[in-house]
Amino acid sequence: MNPYGPVAIYLCVALAAALLFTFLPGLLGRAKPNPQKQEAYECGVEPTSAVHGRFPVRFYLIAMLFVIFDVEAASFYPWAVQMHALRVFGLVEMIVFVIVLAIGYAYVWKKGGFQWR
Amino acid sequence: MTVNVTSADWYALAPISIVAITALVVLLADLFAPKHVNRYLAIVLAVLGIVVAATDCKAAYAHDFAAFGGAFIVGGFSVVFQEIILIAALGSVVLYGAIGKDDRIAGAIALMLWSACGAMLMAGAGSLMTIFLGIELLSLALYCLCGLADRPTAREAAFKYLILSSVASGFMLYGMAMLFGASGSVALADLTNPVLASNPLLWIGGGLFLVGISFKLSLVPFHAWSPDVYEGAPLPVTAFMSVATKAGTLAVFARFVYAAMPSGVADRLLLPIWIVAGISMIAGNVGMLAQHDLKRLLAYSGIAQIGYMLAALAGGTALGMRYAIFYLAAYTFMNLGAFAIAALISDDAEQGSRLANYRGLAQKSPAAAALMTVFLLALAGLPPTAGFLGKILILSTTASAGYVWLGIALIVGTAISLYAYAKIIRAMYQRDEHAHTHAAHPFVPLAWASAIVCCVAVVVLTFVPPALRDVLPLVR
Repeated sequence: MNPYGPVAIYLCVALAAALLFTFLPGLLGRAKPNPQKQEAYECGVEPTSAVHGRFPVRFYLIAMLFVIFDVEAASFYPWAVQMHALRVFGLVEMIVFVIVLAIGYAYVWKKGGFQWR
Repeated sequence: MTVNVTSADWYALAPISIVAITALVVLLADLFAPKHVNRYLAIVLAVLGIVVAATDCKAAYAHDFAAFGGAFIVGGFSVVFQEIILIAALGSVVLYGAIGKDDRIAGAIALMLWSACGAMLMAGAGSLMTIFLGIELLSLALYCLCGLADRPTAREAAFKYLILSSVASGFMLYGMAMLFGASGSVALADLTNPVLASNPLLWIGGGLFLVGISFKLSLVPFHAWSPDVYEGAPLPVTAFMSVATKAGTLAVFARFVYAAMPSGVADRLLLPIWIVAGISMIAGNVGMLAQHDLKRLLAYSGIAQIGYMLAALAGGTALGMRYAIFYLAAYTFMNLGAFAIAALISDDAEQGSRLANYRGLAQKSPAAAALMTVFLLALAGLPPTAGFLGKILILSTTASAGYVWLGIALIVGTAISLYAYAKIIRAMYQRDEHAHTHAAHPFVPLAWASAIVCCVAVVVLTFVPPALRDVLPLVR
């Protein structure tokens, strides 16, 4: 038998099951729709809302700063693991990276990017 | 595969590193220098950095070298493109210095320099990874720059550019993944393996890759973003974007066309691109007719101009490559010059970009009107300007390579464009009693200098075209 045979069978069964469970409730259940039932269920969160709502832009600033330092940490980690293999090259790369990041940090700080306004 | 990195590899990156470090220095200088010298310091440092980088860059001309195992290839080709990009950066930095806001100038100039780094990286990119790195570096800085102006359209421009450009990058990346799947290597040189000609992955991947490229070049079915983005972005940023993005992407495209395809594939895989280039020439020039804003007009003009440059590459001849580069250089100067004039008659609201403000310009400032006329004639391709010579050269090479229909599209497009350019020239020399008086900007001499240099270059290039003998080969 072809080694992919079981995979094909598995896919067919999965597809059949998915189709079955999609259409069976519609056939068996009695339809009594109301607006609440028609909504997509999302753990109590309103699934849709007006797009013109106001939201604080500060959050995005903080989120962006977080991402920057998250990326920093994320790139430090593999370097720390491979530090001995990468030797001086890795160290120099990391120093350059940190200097560039520090200049950006200093710039944001001095320009008032961390002020909570 | 391990790549032995030697100091020669790092020297190949020196011009890019100089520009990047200049950007950092500009930022630091802005932090620690007193407020009233900010503007001078930022401009002087940036210009200095660009000049040093350009001088350093020149040394690699006619000395081909494949750095980092072929990922970055320096040589005549990369040098010419990098110099063009540096000229674009220089012109835009000067324009930003002339009309930019004091408190943003350092940040904007730094971003512009980083963006130029991306374009310079693309100019020498010899592997799919370097191409993508260059494109992203170029684009990421441009997204921020587009949103810098104080008007809602700027934010719209930044958002539009971010979303659409990301989609195009997605296409491109998917294509690159398939090309990698076909050849098993990220090096462009490995794509020439004749075995690949029958591999469907190469065809699909190459097609998707070209879709991404077409978007960045704003060829016609993928051009809708460019007028909106050009209109919303600050004027100097538009000037930079219209030249540097095109130069970097054209370099990548040329390298792909000339050096990264198995024989027999090129004719059929690239045919859609040549057709699209032909359509761009017509559609870009027709689109120009309806515009009331200089930036939008130049965006449509750019769509047509990039069509002309691609036409030179059709057929893949050595001459075609030289002529495309020549036209790009000429286009750089005429475009930067036109933007410099727009900056000259602008105040903070950039009303210099509205065509209505050019009416009666010749009465108030005959010199500005005369310079603008030269640039518009060059864009239209009339003698005695480099635009004329460039178009003649492109026509000759396109026709002799067997793409006569592209030559015809070029002529028809040029004829249409004449009307649009002539309309502005007529408006400038019209008598107008209600001509606007423009608030003189304190740093206007910078824009004057830029316009005059561009004008001289546009005329001189007609009579002394560069030889460009050493731009080929592109891949080693």
